[in-house]
Amino acid sequence: MRIFQRSGLAYFYLAPSALIFLIFTVIPAIFVLYISLFNWNFLNMKMSTYVGLGNYHVLFSSSEFWHSLLISFYFVVGTVPTGLFLALGIALLLIQPFKGRGFVRLAVFSPYVTPVVATSIVWIWIFNPQFGLFNGILHFLGMPQIGWLQSPHWAMPGVMMYSLWHNLGFNVIIFLAGLTTISTELGEAARVDGANRWQEFWQVTWPLLSPTSLFVLIISTVGALQAFTQFFTMTQGGPLMATTTTSYLLYQMAFIFYHTGYASAIAVVLFVIIAGLSLLQMRVSQSRVHYE
Amino acid sequence: MSSISVKSERLSSKHRGWQTLRRSWWGMLGGLVLTVLFLFPFYWVVVTSLNGSNQVLQFPPVFLPHGQWQNYVRAWNEAPWLRYFFNTLLIAGLTTLLVLVTSILAGFAFGVMEFKGKQILFLSFLALMMIPQTVLLIPDYIILRDLHWLNTYWAQIVPWGASVFGIFLLRQFFMTFPRELLESAVLDGASITRSLWQIVVPMARPALVTVALYIFLGSWNSFLWPYIMTSSPSVQPIEVGMATFLGTNGTDWTGLSAAVVFTTLPVMILFLVAQRQFLAGAFAASSGMKG
Repeated sequence: MRIFQRSGLAYFYLAPSALIFLIFTVIPAIFVLYISLFNWNFLNMKMSTYVGLGNYHVLFSSSEFWHSLLISFYFVVGTVPTGLFLALGIALLLIQPFKGRGFVRLAVFSPYVTPVVATSIVWIWIFNPQFGLFNGILHFLGMPQIGWLQSPHWAMPGVMMYSLWHNLGFNVIIFLAGLTTISTELGEAARVDGANRWQEFWQVTWPLLSPTSLFVLIISTVGALQAFTQFFTMTQGGPLMATTTTSYLLYQMAFIFYHTGYASAIAVVLFVIIAGLSLLQMRVSQSRVHYE
Repeated sequence: MSSISVKSERLSSKHRGWQTLRRSWWGMLGGLVLTVLFLFPFYWVVVTSLNGSNQVLQFPPVFLPHGQWQNYVRAWNEAPWLRYFFNTLLIAGLTTLLVLVTSILAGFAFGVMEFKGKQILFLSFLALMMIPQTVLLIPDYIILRDLHWLNTYWAQIVPWGASVFGIFLLRQFFMTFPRELLESAVLDGASITRSLWQIVVPMARPALVTVALYIFLGSWNSFLWPYIMTSSPSVQPIEVGMATFLGTNGTDWTGLSAAVVFTTLPVMILFLVAQRQFLAGAFAASSGMKG
């Protein structure tokens, strides 16, 4: 049909989104690369001096940057694999028919829609060392009290627990979507062949679910690398930088210390890591399409 | 041979009946545990918001509320919440509207129309998803400053006025839209733009509702961007207001909890009313973005 082959009109339709993306995403992405090559003057751009890869040089030889990467890595390791397997376990439970299943699905998903500032405040209170719920439970069990968010050891596990509570529901729904597309016949065939439920899961369900797991793995890793708000409200990166992730360091450098050029170099490194992960995900999902 | 297989089938179905029953009990038990784990923080904040300071500063903690409604009055009077609510509604509402318009147009172009460079343009739109928000904060701050948009509503609406998720979802919808209907409408003399708004948009309602809900929620819950780009409560949204309140009233746990309850309630109500669309959106996101 010829009617819809009108390039002019199509470009006209694309223009509004393209313009917004261009001004607020594409140009800034290039701009941040440019800024990272300068000793950037935040108040007067013309006073900035070109330093080449100077900022990167400082960055890669500074211990605070490597420390922040380590902290980010700790957060990823602590939330992503646990989040994946917990979500899968919950999804396997919630795919079984039982009374009240719809309500449980809703309950598990509900934290995901809540605003992080508000609900992280609830958890700050739960973690309160003097009057908080968790230390109350520990007291009841006769165990020693923990400083939680005020302790360099326990602050990160505290933020991880909150993040898992907040985000798990989304991954559960994605696994539920994945599980519903797997036909039950294969599993039944495996059981007729004498496989128990454990074997059936690892030999049939898990391999068929691998595209979904990979998707969850990558988007949770990207999400964890960008996590900011819960660190801002719960720990402010402390105590003793124990929760200063790379994203948090970027915020501090840019908007507290106004080291704009240096902070932009951090942004570029973060960008490379996250874009690399996203590319990996696209590559793998494309190879999956070939098999189908 | 056939009789044997029928028999074994019957046996196994009987066995399966037992198994389903047993599994259903386990399911309900597990479901109960999950419900308690995930909903407990909500219960806890409500209890805290209704307790007096003497119950809150008690150890071990008090598990039942004591009807101290004045916490709500106190918290409400200590910050310009009405202003924050108004700002949030305005920002989230206008952002959603803008995203719907830009997504319908671009989704229609990608889904139905033929034009040069379609493939490459679509791929570059998708590639935008790889650019994380944190990375854009510094350059966008400078750009918004030069536009004199810092500390305005514009800074919180326009940069978020286009969404790859929205365009992608609507493109998927338009691709499955019956072509004959569109073509006959256009042949009838309606222009493409008119038939888009009059015929296609009304039929795209389910997809539009899903996009609208996620964009509205994302805008309502956003924190870092408005926190950086604004400085005065007259234009700030509720989440920034909540962070300010945490900064100034950080030890008033009953008041803080009350504020958490009344700022989270609208989101929870929206979620409960539109739960189906929310879950459908998560389904669509996973199936759409994967392949």
